[in-house]
Amino acid sequence: MKYLIRTKWWKWLTMAILVYVVIGGFLFQVPRLPILNETIRVLHFHVPMWFGMLFLFLASVIHAIKYLSTGKVQNDIMSSQLAVVGVVFGILGMITGMFWATFTWGEPWSSDPKQNASAIGLLIYFAYFILRGSIQDEQQRAKISAVYNVFAFAALIPLLFILPRMTDSLHPGNGGNPGFNAYDLDSNLRKVFYTAVLGWTLLGFWIATIKIRYKLLLEKMDD
Amino acid sequence: MSGIINFSNVMFKQLQWLIIKDLRIDWRTKYPIAGILLYITSLIITSYLAFTGFINPETWNALFWLILLFVSINAVAKSFAQEEDRSSYYFYLIKPSRIIIAKLIYYGIYQLLLIAIALIVFSVFLGFPVKTSGPFFLNLILGSLGLSSAFTMVSSISSKTNNNSVMMAILGFPVIIPILLLAISNSKILVLGGSIADITANLITLLSVNVIIIALSFILFPFTWKS
Repeated sequence: MKYLIRTKWWKWLTMAILVYVVIGGFLFQVPRLPILNETIRVLHFHVPMWFGMLFLFLASVIHAIKYLSTGKVQNDIMSSQLAVVGVVFGILGMITGMFWATFTWGEPWSSDPKQNASAIGLLIYFAYFILRGSIQDEQQRAKISAVYNVFAFAALIPLLFILPRMTDSLHPGNGGNPGFNAYDLDSNLRKVFYTAVLGWTLLGFWIATIKIRYKLLLEKMDD
Repeated sequence: MSGIINFSNVMFKQLQWLIIKDLRIDWRTKYPIAGILLYITSLIITSYLAFTGFINPETWNALFWLILLFVSINAVAKSFAQEEDRSSYYFYLIKPSRIIIAKLIYYGIYQLLLIAIALIVFSVFLGFPVKTSGPFFLNLILGSLGLSSAFTMVSSISSKTNNNSVMMAILGFPVIIPILLLAISNSKILVLGGSIADITANLITLLSVNVIIIALSFILFPFTWKS
């Protein structure tokens, strides 16, 4: 994270990738499929949000662990700000998904196991922010919320990766629905999709670095 | 060799002492246990009055687990809340990892007792439609141990905040859902007459989630205790 704050080149990379993703995502040829039709393009915007969220939460947990082992305030700031951006990505993923589901599944919320699990996952992180808000003492807040962050991430993993697989899901690739591989014979989607994951994740980290720098400055002014 | 034996002797003595201390506190104050017993009965009678006449096995199962969830969160919430003013004198004497082990053991047993009582009262009022009862009890024990250990850890976190009881629910419910979903779906299969072979994979997942939670409590608890 320190490296990302210090350097700049990856921001240019992010911009280039996102321009490519937006142009490619809206204009490139996509497979013609019944029901899905053009909505297949949501793949480049909806799925990367979840990837971005997971990477941001992972970075947040890593900094929480770092805080617990070193006790440096900046690690706590990084951990909390990364979680904020992660939650924003999660909400965006949920909105894009519900928008897509309205046109393909017929309703925004169909009690799909993945939808339910991600809603609960977001609740866990909202609880994290409420926990942060409810402790006055700064050191105590940092410590307790770091502990909860690790605990919450451990609960998130079975929630997002194990439980939805146990029941049928409406999502492509689950419960007998054709997945990525079946649609994408000429790998056109893949080219854009993988870069989209990278691009949106980097954008998330970019936003996080700005928020972290702002908080670090506030911290400096307090001293 | 004698050093190791001596060390484990000390550890067992401390664990024993901590568990007996909790038992004594509960025995002397009495009202928390009496309160939770009253809570169980009134919860069950309310649900009996609400559901009587049209309850089917699936509803029975869902209702039973919901009652367990509320009993468990209320019973375990006090585990660290009661330590606030007492903790100071053994704070320096005993390792935090032993304190959490003692708490996990004590509240695991406490939870199992409460659930046995809840199950008896529940079946008196709403019947006992379970078709495969052996595996049902196994799943019940695993699920409730998961609930009690997760809530014990959450209680240690929420006892540090200003609004203990509300924070307990906010922090606890989302974290507990993986365990609860696994246990409820297992239990539903068994209530409807499935065999243990139908749920083996789920049961192993449930067990491993429990192990993860206990291991994490063990690692993370020292940080909350010392702050």
